[in-house]
Amino acid sequence: MKLTESMLRDFVTTELTIEEVCDLWTMTGFELEGITEVEGEKVLDINIMANRGDGASVLGLSREILAKDPSSQGTELYGHLADGWVASDEAEKSLETLTSVEIQIPDCTRYACRVFEGLSNGVSPGWVQERLRKVGQRPISLLVDLTNYVMLETGQPLHAFDLDKLDGQRIVVRSAKVGEKIKTLDGTTHDLKPDQMMICDATKAVAVAGVMGGEDSEVSAETTRCLLESAHFDHQSVRRTRKQLGLQTDASYRFERYVDPEGIVRALNRFAELLEDACGCTPVPGVIDVYPIKPVRKSINVRTERCSKMLGMVVTPEEVERYLTSLGSKLARNDSNFEVTPPTWRIDLEREDDYIEEVGRVHGYERIPEALPIGSTPVGGSHGLEAVIDRIREELLRCGLSQTISHSLRDSHTLDAGTARVSVRNPHSPEMALLRNSNLPCLADAALKNGGKDVHFFEIGHVFSTDIETVQLGILSTGSLDSVFWQTGVQTSADFYSLKGVLEKVMQAARVEMLVEKSIKPDTRLHPTRQAVIPGIGVFGQIHPDIAEQSDVPPETVLAEISLTALGKLATEDVQYHQVHRHPAARRDIAILVSKETPYATIEETVAKACGNQLERQWLFDVYEGKGIEPGFHSLAIALQFRKSGNFNDEEANQVRDLAVAALEELGAKLR
Amino acid sequence: MDQIQLLEKIVEEAIQGSTSTAELRAIELKYLGKSGELTGLMRGIGQLPPDEKPKFGAAVNEAKNRLQELLDGRVLELKSGEQAIQFEADKLDVTKPARVPRAGREHVLQQTFNKIKRVMGSMGFVYFDGPELEHFRYNFDALNYPPDHPAMDAQDTFYITDDLLLRTQGTAIQGRVFEEVKPPFRFFTVGRTFRNEAVDRTHSHTFHQIDVFMVDEGISMAHLKGTLGAFAREMFGEDVKVRFRPDFFPFVEPGVDYAISTSKLFNGRWVELGGAGLIHPNILERYGIDTERYSGFAFGLGVERIPMMAYGIDDLRHFLENDTRFLEQFA
Repeated sequence: MKLTESMLRDFVTTELTIEEVCDLWTMTGFELEGITEVEGEKVLDINIMANRGDGASVLGLSREILAKDPSSQGTELYGHLADGWVASDEAEKSLETLTSVEIQIPDCTRYACRVFEGLSNGVSPGWVQERLRKVGQRPISLLVDLTNYVMLETGQPLHAFDLDKLDGQRIVVRSAKVGEKIKTLDGTTHDLKPDQMMICDATKAVAVAGVMGGEDSEVSAETTRCLLESAHFDHQSVRRTRKQLGLQTDASYRFERYVDPEGIVRALNRFAELLEDACGCTPVPGVIDVYPIKPVRKSINVRTERCSKMLGMVVTPEEVERYLTSLGSKLARNDSNFEVTPPTWRIDLEREDDYIEEVGRVHGYERIPEALPIGSTPVGGSHGLEAVIDRIREELLRCGLSQTISHSLRDSHTLDAGTARVSVRNPHSPEMALLRNSNLPCLADAALKNGGKDVHFFEIGHVFSTDIETVQLGILSTGSLDSVFWQTGVQTSADFYSLKGVLEKVMQAARVEMLVEKSIKPDTRLHPTRQAVIPGIGVFGQIHPDIAEQSDVPPETVLAEISLTALGKLATEDVQYHQVHRHPAARRDIAILVSKETPYATIEETVAKACGNQLERQWLFDVYEGKGIEPGFHSLAIALQFRKSGNFNDEEANQVRDLAVAALEELGAKLR
Repeated sequence: MDQIQLLEKIVEEAIQGSTSTAELRAIELKYLGKSGELTGLMRGIGQLPPDEKPKFGAAVNEAKNRLQELLDGRVLELKSGEQAIQFEADKLDVTKPARVPRAGREHVLQQTFNKIKRVMGSMGFVYFDGPELEHFRYNFDALNYPPDHPAMDAQDTFYITDDLLLRTQGTAIQGRVFEEVKPPFRFFTVGRTFRNEAVDRTHSHTFHQIDVFMVDEGISMAHLKGTLGAFAREMFGEDVKVRFRPDFFPFVEPGVDYAISTSKLFNGRWVELGGAGLIHPNILERYGIDTERYSGFAFGLGVERIPMMAYGIDDLRHFLENDTRFLEQFA
């Protein structure tokens, strides 16, 4: 809502500077968007809250100043427009011979009009044009400019029809008929639907109620007789219709936010006054005012004590009474409580708490002290899945992986999971039409954004497939695992096993045992013979060479996709203490020749089973194949570490080792 | 005895003529060690007449001690010179680049999430993670949005179906909590929200929000201001002040927007952070909470605002683009 300083001064006499007035508005909820200087005058742009249509007028904004600042006074014009201004000419008879109004639907609760004859629709007075220009409106003609100007002053949208262009010279407010059309003032022709409210003449729609007039009944330079509409329309109906027709006007803006139904005749009278000043034309005596549905405003009990309790600062009954009265409510006092009837322009005042806000606003929110809540305090922070995710994220960082956070809305990608993508019905652009069903495309983008090599990223985020939303961990690791260093040495690169190691740490963080199995149904994004599944949890492996080529990431890249939602369900806090023996360990190394088809897990299990609980640890420390080794076989060097309560002598250690060797030989392995 | 004197003389000359500590160690081994020649003289003690034995033993030991002392002294003399040469040879260019451990880098938004979680957790607020793909009723109906209200216009929403949408506000978790939990309670969330907006330096269709709310007996605007103040001071510094201004959100009454000011960050200017208020009694009643007994507050703000203000980041787009040149600045 824009207004000029002089428009405000027409309504309010105040000692406040215009900047102080703007501060006052800001602190009462009508935020100053900006002050600009236009044609030598300050123009104020005020943001109107969605539930305060009354603020979209000089009248409404003036009321806020008068409620909060005792030094300010309303002018005579304010008094007229704020308080039941009825024109003195009451001879309705002559008017009724000229026109009539009929309301056929409940979405129009009041329709009033006046008629002006003998007009010459020239230009509006210079001061009106100037003020309209300053607030960003284009002067058009006397009649149109005055309707716009009175709307700025009072908040009541007015519409001027050329009475001679109305069939039957009368107004019917009704729903549109099936197949009916209207060409609005902006030159667009609309096909109308029966739930849209129209202002019609005897035969056709002449305006979209509360939104925009029709071209056919528009006032022009030739207009000599004008019917001036001032009506009240249901805010939801106006909003629905203007959205359906794709229109937005200053009138619909106000109707959507509610216009005072009691201000209708005052707006007509203000127009008549300004028109007479401008061209000496007086209206045909009388006002047609059809008012079938009067708003019922129920009174509410407002307790001073509850005001103080909710606001967290003490207010007195006298203050409550003063604040609410100054904003237009009617109060009946009962001890320290009040029976409050809201003003007709405020539909947002429905409950006691709404009035408490009014009391607080006028009393001043800056007077609210700070206090911390007491009472029952739960154990705050993350619990359950979220706490597990926190542990996993920290573990990944410790493993040297860096975190990415990416957009969820994306295009399709070759690394998408096989599940159905969820699509947005009204995307901002086609590249952002789908919700991700995997974090891997995001990670590939992040890798490429940062050079595509020597990157080790993870992302934890929500992913979506048809009506299932889960939290997923994605990992992309490629290139050197060492940071850049000038001394040449052995650089290790990310591969299947380095990724497997990271995942072991992840599982450890969740305190879930990690099972790794060969993929039965390989993931098509991964290398068919270099991938594995963690059953029920996820999949990992080297990228499929074709996918690597399509997505531009290096073919050595390894990827993992882990459902944290699934892992979180298995996660525990369990830690089992094992006794730490103080006796020294014994180590024996064995080298075996075994078929490459025998999974290492089988060898590991066999050794563990054979050695029993004296085996503290076993680890593979060398794998050799090639020269001297039969094709299809490889040599594995395995370290066995034994420990028990008491010292191991050589013979005992050898005995346990021999158990392992014997079991391995049964498996087809040969000791080297 | 001559034997002792002779050997002593040889060793003394050898020590005096030595030029390196290595040479001295060799001399020590050869003459003074366990199987050294001087020690070896003691083995001949058996053949001496009994009355000469003590005298001879004492003489050997005396010579040995004297020579050891001489040798140790000479080692000290030579050592500092030798080390100086070695240290010169060991010389490193300490200004050469380090071998940096490859450590994971946490995203700057995550760092902010963590800080928020720590602060709100320490005030007894429980973290709740809600879905990003949300039902219309949780995003709007449960939050007291009347059907067709213009407030819904301001946040053009991404719809999947008529019922499913990408949540436009973290506040959408409130209905989910109210359905499950009876007061008193304190909850908060930090999560992703979406609005159908064009992307530029200060707007994005995807961003993150904090939403904090509690219900208990006697909760007032003062508790809201106090909690916000404590939160803002943890996030932005000890001298932060909080200002309330009336504003309209369907889910709070009274509704405010709040601004903070701190001398350090914004030259004392008020900077608006987000919306807040007492939870609308319509919402409490919808979930069967007695509004005479209980009241609650809620506040929300955009997560990205926090690092943007704290670090002076001038472009919102950086946060979800994963450019390490950006992210490493906050590692």
